[in-house]
Amino acid sequence: MTTSKENMNCEEYKEALAGDPTASFEGGAVHAATCESCAAFTTEMRAFDAKIAKALAIDVPDLVLPELPDIADDNVVNVPFKRKQTFSTPTWIGIAATVALAAFIGVRMIDLDPGSGLSLPDEILAHVDHEPGALRVTNVAVTDQLFSSVVNPSVGTMDRDIGLVTYARSCIINGKTIPHLVIQGEKGPITLLLMPDEMIDGAMTLDGKGVNGVILPLGEGSIAIIGERDEPLEEIEQKVIDSVEWST
Amino acid sequence: MNSNDVGRERHRRFDRVVSVFHRDMYRYAAWLCRDPGIAEEVVQEALLRAWKSLDALREDGAAKPWLLTIVRRENARYFERKRLETVDIDALSPAQTAMLAETDDPELYDLRQAIYRLEDDYREPLVLQVLMGHSTKEIAELMGMQQGAVLTRLHRARIKLKEEVEKEAAA
Repeated sequence: MTTSKENMNCEEYKEALAGDPTASFEGGAVHAATCESCAAFTTEMRAFDAKIAKALAIDVPDLVLPELPDIADDNVVNVPFKRKQTFSTPTWIGIAATVALAAFIGVRMIDLDPGSGLSLPDEILAHVDHEPGALRVTNVAVTDQLFSSVVNPSVGTMDRDIGLVTYARSCIINGKTIPHLVIQGEKGPITLLLMPDEMIDGAMTLDGKGVNGVILPLGEGSIAIIGERDEPLEEIEQKVIDSVEWST
Repeated sequence: MNSNDVGRERHRRFDRVVSVFHRDMYRYAAWLCRDPGIAEEVVQEALLRAWKSLDALREDGAAKPWLLTIVRRENARYFERKRLETVDIDALSPAQTAMLAETDDPELYDLRQAIYRLEDDYREPLVLQVLMGHSTKEIAELMGMQQGAVLTRLHRARIKLKEEVEKEAAA
């Protein structure tokens, strides 16, 4: 901001500068150039502002998008839905497995913005650690509405027959919003991250605390599948790959 | 463009805008309400409202003040809805304590505490100016005030903070 008031005195200059230390004052600049006290005050206020900025920059938790409703007339739903399935695995097994998984996984708060410096596998494992919904055991499937808002036309289509989808949220991985789904496996929850824009050259292994998984290439994107350490993933990997079709 | 393309483009635009500005939304909310838990709720509500009214955002270049205005309204709605006056700063929750204690630098910690204790009228324009990079004109528009009044508050906010920090350093 430039203030055109000329011939400022010390008091006026300091008051104006404390209102906006980054501003340049036409009259003030002339004044500060000839007044040692005001020149020192300028330096002091600008340094103080840098500290204020640092103090205000508190840590930011991972972004979890809310369920985004369909917007009228957009007809954005483009997912072949299947009838809800019943949960065949006894719930107690899932609960026990989840408790074990939770015990292994430490909560880590990390910055998942673009440029976080983490490799894709590390970012995925950290995200799964930090997403408590992924550890929730339930035999209640997410609604079709929720599923279609997460696996929306900008992503592609996915056949719900792959398993009981108990969790669906839009999350950010590597700066892109992607569907984060959870299905129930034999040993506990299995996390699926559908990443239509993350092209990889070949399969990548995920090895986290108490969990194992893989990132599989699919067209111009990839899919991460993460389960408990002893969860057999081969069968589900094929099912997931067969069930997903990117929109582009 | 068919309806699917329209839906796709809408999602992409929303993702683009949100991935850039969600950190600012959260920090603004956190310093407005001074509670990380409430800030997360406020941001969730704000994101939902932004999604529903995305068409009202004519240019993506104007997304930041637009999103912050939504956060500001949602914060006010939150406190109206819950019939809360303000956060009690003398009885901090563990989350609030953690928000203030995220630094090992004692000087920074004192400054953060002092900002936390500032009155809302002083803290908000300071956050908008220093953290969000808003001009006094933009702050005046966002807060529905005269530019001169914003400058006065900013001046007082800094003087108060300096006094607090100097007092703490002398203690």
